[in-house]
Amino acid sequence: MAEAIWEVSSEGAVPIRAEAEVLRNVSEGPSSWRLVLRVPSWPGFRPGQFAMLSAGAQQAVRRTDPLLPRPMAVYRAEAGAEGFDVEILYKIAGRGTALRVAIVGPLGKAFPPPRSGERVIIVAGGTGIASVYELAARLAGAHPVEILFGARTASDLMALEDFEALKIPLQVATEDGSAGVRGLVTDLLETALEAPTPGSGRRVYVCGPTAMMRRCAEIASENEAPCIAALENAMACGFGVCLGCAAPLREGGYALVCRDGPAFDAALIDWERLP
Amino acid sequence: MKESQAVDTTVDLGGISLRNPVLTASGTFGYGTEFAPFLDLRRIGGFVAKSLTLEPRVGNPPPRIAEAPSGMLNAISLENVGVEAFIGEKLPAIPEGVTVIASAFETDIDRYAEVCKRLTGVPRIAGLEINASCPHVKSGGIEFGQDPAVLGQLVRATRQATSLPLLVKLSPNVTHIAEMARVCEGEGASGISLINAVQALEVDPETRRPLLANGLGGLSGPAIRPIALRMVWQASQAVSIPICGIGGIISAADAVKFLLCGATAVQVGTSNYLQPSIAADVADGLVEYAKRHGIPRIRDLVGELEFPSR
Repeated sequence: MAEAIWEVSSEGAVPIRAEAEVLRNVSEGPSSWRLVLRVPSWPGFRPGQFAMLSAGAQQAVRRTDPLLPRPMAVYRAEAGAEGFDVEILYKIAGRGTALRVAIVGPLGKAFPPPRSGERVIIVAGGTGIASVYELAARLAGAHPVEILFGARTASDLMALEDFEALKIPLQVATEDGSAGVRGLVTDLLETALEAPTPGSGRRVYVCGPTAMMRRCAEIASENEAPCIAALENAMACGFGVCLGCAAPLREGGYALVCRDGPAFDAALIDWERLP
Repeated sequence: MKESQAVDTTVDLGGISLRNPVLTASGTFGYGTEFAPFLDLRRIGGFVAKSLTLEPRVGNPPPRIAEAPSGMLNAISLENVGVEAFIGEKLPAIPEGVTVIASAFETDIDRYAEVCKRLTGVPRIAGLEINASCPHVKSGGIEFGQDPAVLGQLVRATRQATSLPLLVKLSPNVTHIAEMARVCEGEGASGISLINAVQALEVDPETRRPLLANGLGGLSGPAIRPIALRMVWQASQAVSIPICGIGGIISAADAVKFLLCGATAVQVGTSNYLQPSIAADVADGLVEYAKRHGIPRIRDLVGELEFPSR
């Protein structure tokens, strides 16, 4: 396999700001939605990058409440006749739908790609699934890759059919046992890493709640597998200015999730001090 | 004035010549280059860079920000690269033709003066803004800008330390803003900037803890705009040095309000996060406003508020 499947640095695709037409906003479960935005000027993106979204027409920013845009993983982007359709998976945690959405992106650094031949285990918790589709899609067929997907209950499992369509091994865990195995996705990771892996090692990519990512980092470390975690801190700007998304580092000091991440080597993060 | 006639947008902010009166506020605009993908910096009057200390400074633990109704709280604690890295690395990356105002912050007056000295004579720096008002730095207890005697000492010391135009950014967390403005004018400040963030607290009722790791934070955004307008107006009644109005500007109409209340220029702050090209849109909108009202010079709006007389 080639050295790098995609570029990691944030150089390259210059982020754009656009007012995007909402093409579709379809239910993915009781409180989960798939938002499809028409963004003609979309410059493309790499796995792990995100965008800042503000609801409502943004001409001169009339809306002030809620004030801040929201960081959202870019799920995937498909080129069509009229430019890119950018998909966002999200869970409703607040107010409002609108016919137009302002988008700033793509932002942040991409996931570092796996090394040649490495067995890739992607672990997603809840809405964390939205951050890893592009990663899985680019690796599928070109690289040994499997997905472990966990949620509280079956109806929180967004976009399962997309992952099934990738035809890569997929295991599901729910806390209430309503889909897949009853238990935590971290248990699935422990089992997966117990299995002997022929060839050139394993690598874990994880996105989900902090406690879940922290446990995945521990399990990966115990099994001497590198672990890449995509953090989801709150932020106001998305491009390194508000300094709100500071993630504490084990060596001291902070990294900015928007600029230095969202994907980090999990061993660098001081998980105790991450809210 | 004819529709086709160009509007004169230039202003003089205490010796700093600006192509238009729209600046961006310190702490909301990084070191300028972060906005390059979204905004031609030459479309705005200039920007006030992130506050600098003598040494690089690491910020507070997270959570550092929280949303509030039409606003946000922050407690970053003035994380910055330090004055030397700003001069050596950040400043050269800023395109020519962009007006840069450097901001100084320190924990004691001598160090404030040191930062000002270091920034003086550096090409590209058009003026200094003294941050006398950060509401969330624990060191030193109350803010420099909350005690008229301390504020006076600060302005005197920094005034002596630099030959550059000197703006003093005042704290809104005072009872009499006019008194603080007079102190600045008396000690030779070239102008004043106001307001900085309003000291605030937001709480999580479930955990019974503040939302910010620091406890207290500074409230900014449209939520504080009417407070800012009131303070700009009160200060403008008290002093004749120019005022730079700050607080929740999200449109040209908001900028006009500050000019009417006596501000010579304005700074756009929190809304840079929501809409990274907003400052240029505000500048363009001021020209449209002037054309629509037949005003040949933007500066003719300054202080034109028709306040009811008592």
